[in-house]
Amino acid sequence: MPTLKIDGQEITVDRGTTILQAAAQLGVQIPTFCYHPGLSIAANCRMCLVDTNKAPKPLPACHAQVMDGMEVWTNNEKVQRTRKAVLEFILLNHPVDCPICDQAGECVLQDHYFKYSAQPSRLFHRKRHKAKAKILGPNVILDAERCILCTRCVRFCDEVAKSSQLTVVNRGEKSEITTFPGKQLDNPYAANTVDICPVGALTSRDFRFRTRVWMLSTERGVCPECSRGCSIRVDTFENTVRRYKPVHNPKVNDWWMCDAGRASFRGYLEDRVEGPTIVADGKRRAVATAKAVEDAAKAIQAAGGHGKVALVASPWLTNEDAYVLGRLVTGALAGVKVYMGGRAAGAGDDILIQPDKNPNRKGVDAIFAALGVKAADLSSFDAKGIETVFVFGDNHDASPATLEALAAVPWRIVAGTKMGPWWQLATTFLPLRLHWEKDGTYTNFDGVVQRIRRAVKAAPTCKSEGWYAMKLAQSFGDALAFDAPADIFAAVAGSVPEFAGLAWSDLGDHGLRFGEGSVPAGADAASAEPQMEATT
Amino acid sequence: MATIQVTRGELSLAEKLYIPEVMRGVAITTRQLVKNVFGRKDIATRQYPDVKKPYPERFRGRHRLTWRDDGSVRCVACMLCSTACPANCIHIVAGDKGDNTVEKYPVSFEIDLLVCVYCGFCEEACPCDAIRMDSGKHPMPSFSRDKQRIRKVQLLEEGQPSTSHPGGLGN
Amino acid sequence: MSLGELVLWGLVKFVAIVFGWVMLVATVLTYIERKQSAYVQNRIGPNRAWIGGKRFPLSATIGQILADAAKVLFKEDTEPPRGGNPILHQISPALAFIPALLMWIVIPFGPGPMPGAEGENWFLIADVNVGLLLMFAIMSVSVYGGVIGAWASNSGFSLLGGLRVGAQMISYEVTLGLNLVGIFMIFGSMRLNDIVWGQGDLAWGIVVQPVAFILFMVASIAETKRAPFDMPEAESELVAGYFTEFSSMRFAVFSLSEFIALIAVAAVGVTCFLGGWQIPWVDTPVDAAGVPVYGWITVAQVGIFLAKMIFLIWLQMQIRWTLPRFRYDQVMKLGWVYLLPLSLLNLFVTAIVMYLAR
Repeated sequence: MPTLKIDGQEITVDRGTTILQAAAQLGVQIPTFCYHPGLSIAANCRMCLVDTNKAPKPLPACHAQVMDGMEVWTNNEKVQRTRKAVLEFILLNHPVDCPICDQAGECVLQDHYFKYSAQPSRLFHRKRHKAKAKILGPNVILDAERCILCTRCVRFCDEVAKSSQLTVVNRGEKSEITTFPGKQLDNPYAANTVDICPVGALTSRDFRFRTRVWMLSTERGVCPECSRGCSIRVDTFENTVRRYKPVHNPKVNDWWMCDAGRASFRGYLEDRVEGPTIVADGKRRAVATAKAVEDAAKAIQAAGGHGKVALVASPWLTNEDAYVLGRLVTGALAGVKVYMGGRAAGAGDDILIQPDKNPNRKGVDAIFAALGVKAADLSSFDAKGIETVFVFGDNHDASPATLEALAAVPWRIVAGTKMGPWWQLATTFLPLRLHWEKDGTYTNFDGVVQRIRRAVKAAPTCKSEGWYAMKLAQSFGDALAFDAPADIFAAVAGSVPEFAGLAWSDLGDHGLRFGEGSVPAGADAASAEPQMEATT
Repeated sequence: MATIQVTRGELSLAEKLYIPEVMRGVAITTRQLVKNVFGRKDIATRQYPDVKKPYPERFRGRHRLTWRDDGSVRCVACMLCSTACPANCIHIVAGDKGDNTVEKYPVSFEIDLLVCVYCGFCEEACPCDAIRMDSGKHPMPSFSRDKQRIRKVQLLEEGQPSTSHPGGLGN
Repeated sequence: MSLGELVLWGLVKFVAIVFGWVMLVATVLTYIERKQSAYVQNRIGPNRAWIGGKRFPLSATIGQILADAAKVLFKEDTEPPRGGNPILHQISPALAFIPALLMWIVIPFGPGPMPGAEGENWFLIADVNVGLLLMFAIMSVSVYGGVIGAWASNSGFSLLGGLRVGAQMISYEVTLGLNLVGIFMIFGSMRLNDIVWGQGDLAWGIVVQPVAFILFMVASIAETKRAPFDMPEAESELVAGYFTEFSSMRFAVFSLSEFIALIAVAAVGVTCFLGGWQIPWVDTPVDAAGVPVYGWITVAQVGIFLAKMIFLIWLQMQIRWTLPRFRYDQVMKLGWVYLLPLSLLNLFVTAIVMYLAR
């Protein structure tokens, strides 16, 4: 256990710890470019050089391991001069086209320049020109002039995506990142190279020139495209989602996410339906939300007995919405047939992508099991004897036969978000909120319960599935009432064994795995149940 | 709060009687009247629409966009003006030009003059000398709100070539 | 002369004097006043409405007047705010306007028969032996136009303006009347024609009653509601006072009636204090019966009357653009505490002097 001094503070760390890690433990920031905690160490940018008493020249902090009796200065005059020189060298041929660079605003080079250098260029020759706007793959575009050759992207492809597609060619000032001959940067995680690129060399083709990053507002969320549930940042501008970015979450996705999930938000922006409609006399017309809910309740009433009503639940429900829905079908609408829809399984891999393409199957299954709801798969839907069907969500991959069977039902209530087959099917359409428009929790395949947060303000007509289920239950005389998702989550934690001990406020940024809860199950249930009674 | 003591002189009898003072006042105004009727020496009025006062050199008038040597728009849609704008009146949609030297250009560039406060922050922020407020024209009234949203074409029509070198001479 | 002829001639003279002279002057005054105030304040004033865009003498004057007339005629005639009385609101401009015009029936423009002589007076609409009293009666009635209009408007500004009209007009009418009593006493008649005959040579009212003239001028400015006594329409406090809620021609009629009152008061001033149509040291030619023989001298006399009148009008306007507005309490205090006792004192002294010089 070597003991060392960093900027005068003493610390004892494990053998093999690097100076950078030891400094991080003390809260001392050392600037870096090529260092990334999720990748191997290259130590080629030299930005992290620190002065030590063990070597005459400065050492790269990211690479040099600590020694007993070492003294490290991270900000003395020598280090400052070194950093200035390193930055001048890196910036020598940098085009400084920040105004048109998408990275500007979240650029490590910009930040370091202003913090550690802030000196004008002394170059009086023409700058070296390299490839600009070179398309590397379907998602990534390269500006080789901006590149500082930190090789984070090369290491990412080799080590994380496990598909060696990038390399550095040429030598000296002609060095350049490029793909291997005949190859494209087309692995399913390629866009992560954009995230880890410290400068604007690799930029996203999807986000290219769309919004300046400093204009974005950010909220944490969960990618719903598969049951991995990667932690993401939902970046919005003018109340519209502009991009997803993965966020470090060691329980789920480390630093990464797949390209498919990253691009998925565009699909939700198209064909959005924000107003309730009902079909009467063959004509569809817009109505108020209250009227549409009333219409839905009437359709269920008109079926004549709960046995003639079918309800299609979805693994896209949040835990909270699933709980309210479960209470609805076990309470006010006891006896209805429940089916479980959802997207069909797809391909998976052993990095992040899961075959189950629904975000919350594990949570919904657990909640339904605990509440005693028996859900059959949607493919087994039988229209015989069914007068009314209520479909929650429109993320169901139903076969044409199933759709036909559904269409044979006289009253079809659909709660959805967009134009499409499910909207066409609906005789009563109730607009739903998207996952970035509501608060709640998703449970991933591994049992990690993560918060989703409201990043975008939905139209006031759009409501969550749980809200509709609550209104329906109330219209059938069941006093089911919750104020906020946090209240519902408390009820879930109190009544579903898997969720026992989990508390809304403890979920944090990384979420909690089943069984990681700190609150004793009994105490939480006791505090949750009377609260529910009070609101009823 | 400071109290300021104002001492007023005692009025003389003539002043208290008002009438002589009134006569004095009337004499003054009459002198002005006569002077202005015969000779118009002291008229301060400027006959505005006919006789215009030249604006000062640094007057911030309506915006315009400058050109490159080939006549294309100098703006690279960096959004620094719309970021600096305190009134949020500049709306730019950026596009990819497909040109290897300067890839980015504004597909649309719109300024809502009704919202603009003419503070000049946009031209301060512009790194390319693309937006200027030196047209010397002030905002004109119009019959529709839409006419006040001036677009790239109009902004360019009033523009002129700029000789500045973004990025320095070595670039 | 039969009654019918009397009425007919009265009407003809009324139309000729009122529409041919009074209305003309009042209309021109709307332009002159703006122009005069502009020059006093080193401005230019209205100069945009040239007839056909051509610059020739009087082009701007006539063009501006025509433009103003067209403007007020075609503007929207607004209703009073809810709760007002639309009928009273509509007739109140007329209530202010008609008395202003009627004041003119007793004013002699030119020489009439000498006192005591029988004969036709061509320059007087109605030869009433209580002329000035009649005029004051009519002037008092004109208060109603403003007060009723203000009340019918159902607006706070209007109501305050209306109250001020009432209070101010009544206060200053007392002084105005008392100042003329001295004139009656000296000239021994209330018939204006007789008063003018008494002011031959330089025995003008202003010479025999100098204090009364000054008091009369002050009171007459207050009576015509002009600055510094324009409390009823003090725009910095009351928007436009009693005619805040009026627009279009009704607004213009209120303004016009003020100008006409201004001219009328000036005419009274000229008649009682400045010798009326008398030209100093020029004798009016009369025949044996004392009825004047009309000739070039008559024309000059009518001209001098109008000139004196215009001078008084100018003086009043000049005072208006010279002095700032009084505070309301100052107006009332000046009227009741200073002017009224002074008039009484003046009357008293006049009576003593007349008794001693008897």
